[in-house]
Amino acid sequence: MGTSDKQSSLVQGTLDMLILRTLALEPMHGYGIGMRLEQISKGVFQVNAGSLFPAFRRLERDGLVKAEWRATENNRRAKYYALTAQGRAKLARATRDWEAQTAAIARIMRASLGEV
Amino acid sequence: MRLLRRLISGVAALVHRRRVEQELNEELRAYLDEAVERKVETGLPREAALRAARVEMGSLEAVKDHTRDVGWESRIESLGQDARYACRGLRRSPGFTAVAVLTLALGIGANTAIFSVVNGLLLRALPVAAPEQLVVLSTRSSIEQGFPAGWTYPMWDEIRTRTNAFDGAVAWSVFPERFDLAQGGESQPADGLFVSGNFFEELGVRSLIGRTFTANEDGLGSPRSRVAVISYGFWQRHFGGAPDVVGRTLPVNRVPVAIVGVTPPEFLGPEVGRAFEIAPPIGSAPVVLSDNRWGQPEGFSYLAVMLRLKPGQSIESATGLLRGMHRQIIEASMGPRELWGPHQDVWLKDPFVLAPAATGTSELRRQYSQSIVTVLTIAALVLFIACANIANLLQARATTRQREISTRLAVGAPRWRIVQQVLVESLVLSVIGAAVGLLLAVWGSRALVAQLSTWFDRVVLDVSLDWRVMAYTSTAAVVTAVVFGTATAVRSSRIAPGAAAQGGAVGQGFAGTGGVHVRGTLVAAQVALSLVLLVAAGLFIRTFERLAAVPLGFDSDRILVVRMNASRAVIASGNRPDSYQRLADAVAAMPGVTHAAASLNTPVNRGVTMVADFSVPGGPAVSPRDQRVIVQYVTPSWFETYGVAVREGRVINGGDTGRTTPVVVANEAFVRRFFPGGRAVGSFVTDALAIPDQKDMPKTVIGVVGDAVDQSLRAEPFPALYLPLAQLMQHPAAGAGFMSVPEVSLSVRAATGSPAQLARSVAATLTSFDRNLTFSFQSLAEQVDAARHQERLVAWLSGFFGALALLMAAIGLYGVTSYAVAHRRTEIGIRIALGAQRRDVIGLALRHTILMTAAGVVVGLAIAAAVTRYMEAMLFGITALDPVTFIAAPALLTLVAGVAALVPARRAAAVDPMIALRSD
Repeated sequence: MGTSDKQSSLVQGTLDMLILRTLALEPMHGYGIGMRLEQISKGVFQVNAGSLFPAFRRLERDGLVKAEWRATENNRRAKYYALTAQGRAKLARATRDWEAQTAAIARIMRASLGEV
Repeated sequence: MRLLRRLISGVAALVHRRRVEQELNEELRAYLDEAVERKVETGLPREAALRAARVEMGSLEAVKDHTRDVGWESRIESLGQDARYACRGLRRSPGFTAVAVLTLALGIGANTAIFSVVNGLLLRALPVAAPEQLVVLSTRSSIEQGFPAGWTYPMWDEIRTRTNAFDGAVAWSVFPERFDLAQGGESQPADGLFVSGNFFEELGVRSLIGRTFTANEDGLGSPRSRVAVISYGFWQRHFGGAPDVVGRTLPVNRVPVAIVGVTPPEFLGPEVGRAFEIAPPIGSAPVVLSDNRWGQPEGFSYLAVMLRLKPGQSIESATGLLRGMHRQIIEASMGPRELWGPHQDVWLKDPFVLAPAATGTSELRRQYSQSIVTVLTIAALVLFIACANIANLLQARATTRQREISTRLAVGAPRWRIVQQVLVESLVLSVIGAAVGLLLAVWGSRALVAQLSTWFDRVVLDVSLDWRVMAYTSTAAVVTAVVFGTATAVRSSRIAPGAAAQGGAVGQGFAGTGGVHVRGTLVAAQVALSLVLLVAAGLFIRTFERLAAVPLGFDSDRILVVRMNASRAVIASGNRPDSYQRLADAVAAMPGVTHAAASLNTPVNRGVTMVADFSVPGGPAVSPRDQRVIVQYVTPSWFETYGVAVREGRVINGGDTGRTTPVVVANEAFVRRFFPGGRAVGSFVTDALAIPDQKDMPKTVIGVVGDAVDQSLRAEPFPALYLPLAQLMQHPAAGAGFMSVPEVSLSVRAATGSPAQLARSVAATLTSFDRNLTFSFQSLAEQVDAARHQERLVAWLSGFFGALALLMAAIGLYGVTSYAVAHRRTEIGIRIALGAQRRDVIGLALRHTILMTAAGVVVGLAIAAAVTRYMEAMLFGITALDPVTFIAAPALLTLVAGVAALVPARRAAAVDPMIALRSD
């Protein structure tokens, strides 16, 4: 995912959802979130700082995550983000919507071979 | 909810800007450190890890920018940055800033000044309690004819008892407008009005010191009514703000009146434009004016009545209720029908009409509202023209910043940022101009109000800055900024990024043909608008000139008018006309005086004109409306005093007394209407007013004189009859009230020099004749001037703005031609080098300008022709398409345009081709 303005709205929404999902497991700092996304997607998604940091600020603004400064494993200070109750609710909603969307798309893609 | 949260965090971010920035920096650093650590763990050497991490992250500043942009507060910050940048830029080019700010200050200032007057005259509500509930009681005929409705005292008395129709009622006198504070001799005027006892209370006007009236102080003729409330202004001026003013007595028309209170400074009276100084209760009118008629049914209808509607009551329902009581009120106030038959009918046929009066009533408004709104429109158009000039200036300035802008675009600034910056700069310029303009306006509006006053009419108008004026000024500032900034802003955003870095091609964008087209259109629009304003100015100036050329029918320059009141003088009632004759003779015998005459009224004095209905027995039928003529009662030397031309027969002389045949002298207009083609002298005319039990008294026409102006300079000469003052006693109503002639005018003709010089000696003569005569002097020339005052003011203002518009258009043309010439310097240099003549070069340089000016003139004339018909009501003696104006205005404009364009054109022709070619 790049920093291009034109794609931002669609990409923004999905990225936010992915970050919320990542934080559902445990609170993390910025670099950690980016790493986790890359790991779990097996390298498909490489999110850089230019997309992550605006996303963090958005999520914080909307009250879906809260931040606190803590020490990392390497004993450095970093800003850790954690889901709020509102964030969990949003994640649940977003997951449902996403699953509905992908199921529908899958149906269409399958159907176009024989039924359309 | 989300919106609110965003709002709050945005504000928090703005307030804690530094901390937020610090946190972001820390977080980014931590991110980078973490990235480096992870890479080192995978075995990369630290140096390589650092580099890799940095590459991965991209530009630190870009990340910060994108993060900052998430919230709305970054927009606000960018506005703040742009404003600071704009201020710095303006400070760096003081010349441009000075010209732009000055132009805006003049334009916006003039607009604000005139709007302040419009506000004070038309929009501002009276400083009373709940003004929106107030309505003025009028009649249908008054509304149609545009005059204030007046009621007699008994009518007011009746109306105010009908409390089921309204919440409260107040009344005040529309005339007389002035009281005399002197004890005899020359009068010392003070503006005043009689008010009803509950006037101040009902309107919620609290006294500053002292009190307002109590219930028993408004009894008609009661000794308790010899009190008065004075205004704040009068308290300061006359009593120097003395704290013990309450209780002091003041001689009002030589009746001692006790002051009971002072009103606060913001209350000027119920009539906008007229300020009172002394306000006694209406009950005291018969005493102060020494005439019982002021309280009686057959007296004057001099009271204006204002009602306060019940909360929630509509005007329609109140009108309905009142109309239901109309008949009862009129009959109860006029007395027995046998006495007042025809007069009562007039009142009965004229239904009540209620008009909203939140802004008070106003004669000034009726007179001036159309003119002042026209002048405001003119000022707004001048402001537009000024904006066009500033737009051109801004464009020229933007040309020098193309490099900067294209560089900014190249390093990633979004285009809206550039547009925003130009607009913010325009706004900053506008705001500074508006602030300076506001200062000018405060002074200007007061000066304008002072100009509205004439020698007899002190105009007082509250033109202080209120929210409406501030809103108007702010809107003007924003609109002008948008108008002159948009063109530049849009063009700036079209610059190709990095184009400037290539050099040489800087000529595009602003300086290209596109730029010239925009400029050309702007200047053509300026020319068109200026022409419209010049035409308007020309029409107003010609109107004033035509008005000044109206033949008066008498010599105004030599005449001093003395308005005398003999109500307390020793002269006995029955002998008054004879005494006035002797007085006139005494004054005529003075050195320096050629003639003197007495009359009930004088021309052009804004006073009451006596009219009567006359007919010619056995003559051609004349409709009842046409039977109305002006009636003047004069002493014999009146015609010589005024220099009125005698056309036929003779004028009134000493032989026409109360005991000889009744005679009249007719003017030419009378003869035209009543004796068309026939012989007037020797015929009879009769007074058509049929008062029961009175016989018609036919009068003989003994002579015909030339037409003379009565009150209005604009009206056609009205039929008039001159009757001997000595024969006034023969009139059926003589001896009653005002026909007993307590007030008369003396007209004195000076032999040489200014008539004002005679004032002292005439005063002495009058005082020696009878010490209890009171009088005031009025110069007839000043009265005539005052009759033209409004037209003069409008001509002056429109001429001023027209000249201003012309100046700005000239500057615009000069600028555009200069620019076009500079732009084509290379080409001109080549042409000259190849042998072109000076003439050809000038022609070349001028061609574009001539085209624009011609286009502007054509469009301007078309607009002017379409628009001037709305001004027709204000014009006099000329049509809306007056050929003189429509030829002179474009001629003047073309001349000025030619001169403005010629200067840079000639400079172009003087270019040294070698310099021009090398400078590229």
